[in-house]
Amino acid sequence: MRTQPWWGSLGLLLLLCGLPWLLPNDYYLHLAETILIYTVLLYGLDIVVGYTGQVSLGHAGLFGVGAYVAGVLSIKLGLGFWLAIPAALLITALFGGLLALPALRVVGPYLAMVTLAFGTILQILINEMDFLTDGPLGIKLAKPWLGHHPLTVSEYYATVVAIFALATVLMNRLVRSHWGRAFEALRDSPIATDCMGVSVYRYKVLAFVLSAGFAGVSGCLYAYSEQYISPNTYNFELTILFLLAIIMGGRKSRLGALLGSTIIVLLPKLLDDIQSFRLTAVILALMVLLGSALSVHRGLTTVRRVLVPVVGTAAIALVSFKLDAMTDWRLSIFGVMILLVVYYLQDGIVGFSLHWVAKLRRDHDHVGHAAFHSVDVGQAPITAHASRGPESLLEVADVVMAFGGLKALNAVSYTMSRGSVLGLIGPNGSGKSTMMNVLTGLYKPTAGHIAFKGLSITGKEPSAIARSGIARTFQNVQLFGEMTVLDNVLVGLHHRFNSGLVGICLRLPAFKRDEDALRTRGQQLLQMVGLHAHADELARNLPYGKQRLLEIARALALDPELLLLDEPAAGLTAADITELLALIEAIRAAGVSVVLIEHHMDVIQAACDHVIVFDFGEIIAAGVPAAVQANPKVIEAYLGA
Amino acid sequence: MLDVENLEAGYGKVTVLKGISFTVPKGKVVSLIGSNGAGKTTTMRALSGLLSTQAGRVRFKGSDVTGKRSDQMANLGLAHSPEGRRVFTTMSVLDNLTLGAYTRLRRGEASRQIKADLERQFALFPRLAERKTQLAGTLSGGEQQMLAMARALMMNPDLILLDEPSMGLAPILVAEIFAIIRRLRDEGVTMLLVEQFASAALKVSDYGYVLEHGRITVEGSAERLSQNPAVVAAYLGGNHAH
Repeated sequence: MRTQPWWGSLGLLLLLCGLPWLLPNDYYLHLAETILIYTVLLYGLDIVVGYTGQVSLGHAGLFGVGAYVAGVLSIKLGLGFWLAIPAALLITALFGGLLALPALRVVGPYLAMVTLAFGTILQILINEMDFLTDGPLGIKLAKPWLGHHPLTVSEYYATVVAIFALATVLMNRLVRSHWGRAFEALRDSPIATDCMGVSVYRYKVLAFVLSAGFAGVSGCLYAYSEQYISPNTYNFELTILFLLAIIMGGRKSRLGALLGSTIIVLLPKLLDDIQSFRLTAVILALMVLLGSALSVHRGLTTVRRVLVPVVGTAAIALVSFKLDAMTDWRLSIFGVMILLVVYYLQDGIVGFSLHWVAKLRRDHDHVGHAAFHSVDVGQAPITAHASRGPESLLEVADVVMAFGGLKALNAVSYTMSRGSVLGLIGPNGSGKSTMMNVLTGLYKPTAGHIAFKGLSITGKEPSAIARSGIARTFQNVQLFGEMTVLDNVLVGLHHRFNSGLVGICLRLPAFKRDEDALRTRGQQLLQMVGLHAHADELARNLPYGKQRLLEIARALALDPELLLLDEPAAGLTAADITELLALIEAIRAAGVSVVLIEHHMDVIQAACDHVIVFDFGEIIAAGVPAAVQANPKVIEAYLGA
Repeated sequence: MLDVENLEAGYGKVTVLKGISFTVPKGKVVSLIGSNGAGKTTTMRALSGLLSTQAGRVRFKGSDVTGKRSDQMANLGLAHSPEGRRVFTTMSVLDNLTLGAYTRLRRGEASRQIKADLERQFALFPRLAERKTQLAGTLSGGEQQMLAMARALMMNPDLILLDEPSMGLAPILVAEIFAIIRRLRDEGVTMLLVEQFASAALKVSDYGYVLEHGRITVEGSAERLSQNPAVVAAYLGGNHAH
């Protein structure tokens, strides 16, 4: 949903503004209002679930906090709606920060359980603290006042539309900024995110705080929409419904959130009476039948694969005419419909539709794929700052890294001077990659010291080490797969964005300047590794060797003084290796020092000034490449006769 | 053994293979050579059913297998030793190998025969015998590569796809892996090989195809390819595995 036509959004906004005149009565207007209010919450949930890739079963609780901030401010302090909105936003955001704490420690099912407990505790607290919340009795609220005028039903609806529109704009701006990219990066590879100088800790907390802010505003709007709140609204079921809405509508899409919210609000109502159910079922069956027929006709899928959904929806439509009353079946049918959607449309309705349209189009213009360009250095500077400072760049002293009883590194010491290329070789499992993980802070050494530019980096956080000027690539490629090639590099450039929340939300000139300048810089870096024609391709669609080059471009984006390359030539053929060597030479010429782990001896020979050989966690030889290659110990342990 | 006709495949909007045709005769070793992004791994993935094909036909042992799933291909006797090894890291070496024989055990083959094959693998890869009970994730890169190959062999397959068997290995191990490939060839195992060390790969192959931008540009016997000046300049130069 990157290039939504603006007129589509405008049309939707006009439609929403016109609803009070289009809908027959206030009941329907209230439904529309609820949809918009839920959508605001879903935006927030999407930050956590869709962008950051975490799970939260605590959002109904946060929604409740927002509602109760409004309620308590009204009954205890007599403060109205206009103060309640910012208060709900801030207070709920604080609770979001609390919710983020478990997310820093646990992931997956564990995080789901912890957030579930968090949501449940919030609900129970609201219920028990009756000195503040009036407990199970609930709180009644009057419609808000604007000056001396109480808002009518449609005027309140208009307020909700305005806040919804504002939330949509803010959400769009948030996710299309360096913050949004940081969220997505930590979803795809937390390790690489940290090594790009983007603190996973900081951005996870930020994601939960922002997400809770949306939930708080939504809760506050809801309180004034219903004009009555009670603790049992904000239960587990509501949380599940919110998650379903995101999954059904489609992650990472504003339209998806709106669609999901529409489904969870309207579908139960449509199933309330038999007439509307029949209509819904028939329309659904026809849509599925037509869509499937078109897909099969175009050869996109086979009859067998669409059989179940076509027959299933047709069966539901038939059943709808057999039933006399809905009451007994309502919940079962709701369940079956949701099951169908979640099972068949795993990318959500929006994701599926986009994919489908793209497939239909692809049939028309069979776009081949743009040819890969070769490495092209010399067009633009490789690094932003010239290399200056102490001659000794890296000092490793007596470093020990023990895993249980196994010493992966045993009292390793060496120094590296600025501007040189150091090769690390040795048998598989001899400690080379461990060395790299210790240098970048992913492992905290058991003993010993490491100094970079004369300052100790022993035991520092990976993101801090990265920002101090050490960048790396990974042996097992760690790209942000669901992001574009250019966005991957932009995550590496994160350290050069200066704007904060205000700059992002208001799109201040400084933000635009940064964004434009760094996009250009990103393109230059891509050109350097020959990937500029693929800037908009998803990183995971690149072939393996190109992914390795992208990792180098991303690492260079950090403007490092020391670049660590972990087996960059693995899987490359002779021609590719020549290009790689040219790239490494250009990197060194720009004043960036390089540590190179490699098994290709011709690469080591051509690129390195100095080589260190590891075996069983110890250095068994060191020296210029030719000397090392002739060393009998190295031949025995590593090179072979 | 394997006949590929005008195969097209790719990821998402990208078509990587633009109609390639080649054959792997029974008992022969065939190499695919090409630079990065040419489509070698994509070919392997499309053949073993990990990636659905967009057009073209694949015949395996005489019958049409186009569009079959990877488990069906395994059942038909095609083994894939994937790029990056992909061993089951939290299982022991022995369990990894036994899982390789899953299709045979399910068909009710006598466990005596499976045991005999296990012994054969341990004879071929003595390092694995030493580490029978160790978790696969704790093996070094070279040992994992041997395990991936041995696991594929446990299927007793008619054809093995070997994707980058020497990637990320110390030179001393690269030589060992090629020695094993040569031994398998002498035993009559049919193989399709993708290798970064193109010259070493051609030395153990009977026939080779050069892939460029998703199309086959040159083909010929391994001997002729290694003398073709264009191929030497682009793929064989400067790469000394031995």
